[in-house]
Amino acid sequence: MKPSNISAYFVLHAKSYFRSRSAIFFQIAFPVILMLLFGAIFGGTSYNPGTLVVQNDSPSQVSWGVINAINDSGLFKIQVLQESANLSQYIVKNGITAALLIPANFTSNILSGGRGYMILKGEASPQVANSNYQILNGVLTEVNYHIENVSQKLVLTTAVSGTATSKTVNYYVPGLIGFTVLTTMFNMVYQVPNYRKEKIFRQFSFSGLTKSEWMVANILHSFAMLVLSDVILVVIAILVFGASLVLTPTTILLSGVIVFMGLIFFTGLGILAGLVSDNEETVSVVGNLILFPMMFLSGVFFPLAFAPPYLQTISKFLPLTYFINSLNSILIYGDFSTLLVEMIALGVSSLILFVVAAKIFSWKQK
Amino acid sequence: MSAEVIEVRGLVKKYGDLVAVNGIDFSINRGEVFSLLGPNGAGKTTTVEILEGVRNRSSGSVTVLGEDPEKSKSLIYRLGILPQDFSFVYNSTPVEALAFYRKTLGSSTDIKQILEEVELEEKSDTPYQKLSGGQKQKLGLAMAMINDPEVLFLDEPTSGLDPRARRNIWKVIENLKKQGKSILLTTHYLEEAELLAQRVAIMNKGKIIDSGTPMEIVERHHESDRLIIRGDGNIETMIRDMGFPVRRNESYVEVNLRNIKDATEIVNLLYEKKANFEDFTLKRESLEDVFIKMVGEIEEDEAE
Ligand SMILES: Nc1ncnc2c1ncn2[C@@H]1O[C@H](COP(=O)(O)OP(=O)(O)OP(=O)(O)O)[C@@H](O)[C@H]1O
Ligand SMILES: [Mg+2]
Repeated sequence: MKPSNISAYFVLHAKSYFRSRSAIFFQIAFPVILMLLFGAIFGGTSYNPGTLVVQNDSPSQVSWGVINAINDSGLFKIQVLQESANLSQYIVKNGITAALLIPANFTSNILSGGRGYMILKGEASPQVANSNYQILNGVLTEVNYHIENVSQKLVLTTAVSGTATSKTVNYYVPGLIGFTVLTTMFNMVYQVPNYRKEKIFRQFSFSGLTKSEWMVANILHSFAMLVLSDVILVVIAILVFGASLVLTPTTILLSGVIVFMGLIFFTGLGILAGLVSDNEETVSVVGNLILFPMMFLSGVFFPLAFAPPYLQTISKFLPLTYFINSLNSILIYGDFSTLLVEMIALGVSSLILFVVAAKIFSWKQK
Repeated sequence: MSAEVIEVRGLVKKYGDLVAVNGIDFSINRGEVFSLLGPNGAGKTTTVEILEGVRNRSSGSVTVLGEDPEKSKSLIYRLGILPQDFSFVYNSTPVEALAFYRKTLGSSTDIKQILEEVELEEKSDTPYQKLSGGQKQKLGLAMAMINDPEVLFLDEPTSGLDPRARRNIWKVIENLKKQGKSILLTTHYLEEAELLAQRVAIMNKGKIIDSGTPMEIVERHHESDRLIIRGDGNIETMIRDMGFPVRRNESYVEVNLRNIKDATEIVNLLYEKKANFEDFTLKRESLEDVFIKMVGEIEEDEAE
């Protein structure tokens, strides 16, 4: 591999890229538009699914089991409030958006074969309260599912008041970054069959450029574009929507690494998808077939806690899930505890896919 | 250094059941322009692509500048290639395309000069997709020349060009020839081959049916020269009386000449006899006539 070839192609590609309005639109403008759209939908106000304050007035194996299950879902960070504390005051004083009260009769109700009511409290806008309710309910549904012979026993009711302090935008920034990485795949899905059909790869091979140099130059170019569009995205999220992301040199660097790994994955996937599609129609079919399920199953735009368990299982096999999860944990929570596993999962799958794509992809005429 | 820059022995290429190239042999000397002629689907492009190293052969041996194009990685730097269906990145300009090639091929030629040579300097900053068909073709030729290659493969370099642009490309090729480049030229324009190539090979259905200098091929296959005279009906009888085989068409009579000098004799006699004729032309068979005849004969044979 020659660095000079890589830089020569990088320059050629970058110049032609900036001449293409649609490329610029999808790479930079579109994610911003999506963010503005989400901002409008969610009202810009919102919840931080980070912390769930729990007050357990009915301590028992059953109630702690439920709290542990919520904790294991990873969707909330549990903060246990002493039984003696005044929950309502605590909420107001600390601007808590999500608090779960387990009433004193909870355990006895369950054990006597009845239903265990829990109350979701907090100070949040209706949208946020609803989101919190949906997420928590999703988790509890799953918990119900796992309690043998005791179906639908955990019931969540809400008592939310006031307006929110934190922002939804925090939650969808990682999703939008995921979306910008997905556009890379789309670029490949369109470019590969087009360049093959037009015999532009053959023309490249006359220049002494190799397939691997082409792939590397593309990845570098896409990375530069991703850094550009993601920085714009984050800046707008902060300035316009007041996002409060955890931006330290470490989280920024780690996000860069995660984006890079995602990019490698989607370049590989895009090349493979491009190889199986030989005309314009199949290109969009193949592209959408991969894109949409992946986008929804990986929790790009909404939390997976809503999804039925089998979909959640599928999502565990999608690298995009790890991509979004790891960005979520570092950018929203500044939490590195699960990062290693997520990054390894993402890194390994990216590498495998990339190597497979590089092997199958050939510039020779048949 | 061997005199032969390209050597092809028993080359076969199959696409599934279809035998596109069916055991051909030829060689090209250094500094020679060699032309492959043949009807559509004869196997010319397939042959050229195998020599360029972009297509693998089924069997036979091929060397280009002493190397096997299927295996060599360094050969490409010494070749200039204009493929038949040349295309490039839609949003790249000629200058960008040439700069890219120049860098990857490690050449130091002058981009501006090459663009001038192919008469594309006015469009040097126009994106590829906005070039006309002929201008695209010129860019392809410029790209084939950018590394000052030893051997050029030009697959139908003038197809789709207007007559003036075609002549200009001929000039460029003449120039390359003067610089001592070896060129494999495929074309459908037989006048082009006659004009530019020292040697030609005529291909049909994957086989080379004849090869040699254009003159040799015409000599081998031509029937006779013909004299064509436009005039009234008496002319036909007058010529027949002189003892020449004559044929009458709608508006002219045609005489098959055994010897080119007979033409002078016939015309002189017609003057003496004050025959009423408008004009006359002497028709020698061109490579094209011979080509059509040769390819046609084969088709007829197969039809039988
Ligand atoms: N990729 C391919 N797959 C299958 N068959 C092919 C392929 N390329 C060419 N052929 C067939 O091989 C034969 C020779 O094709 P080739 O392109 O070499 O002809 P050619 O002499 O260059 O014709 P033309 O003058 O039209 O360019 C044709 O019958 C063609 O249909
Ligand atoms: Mg051809």
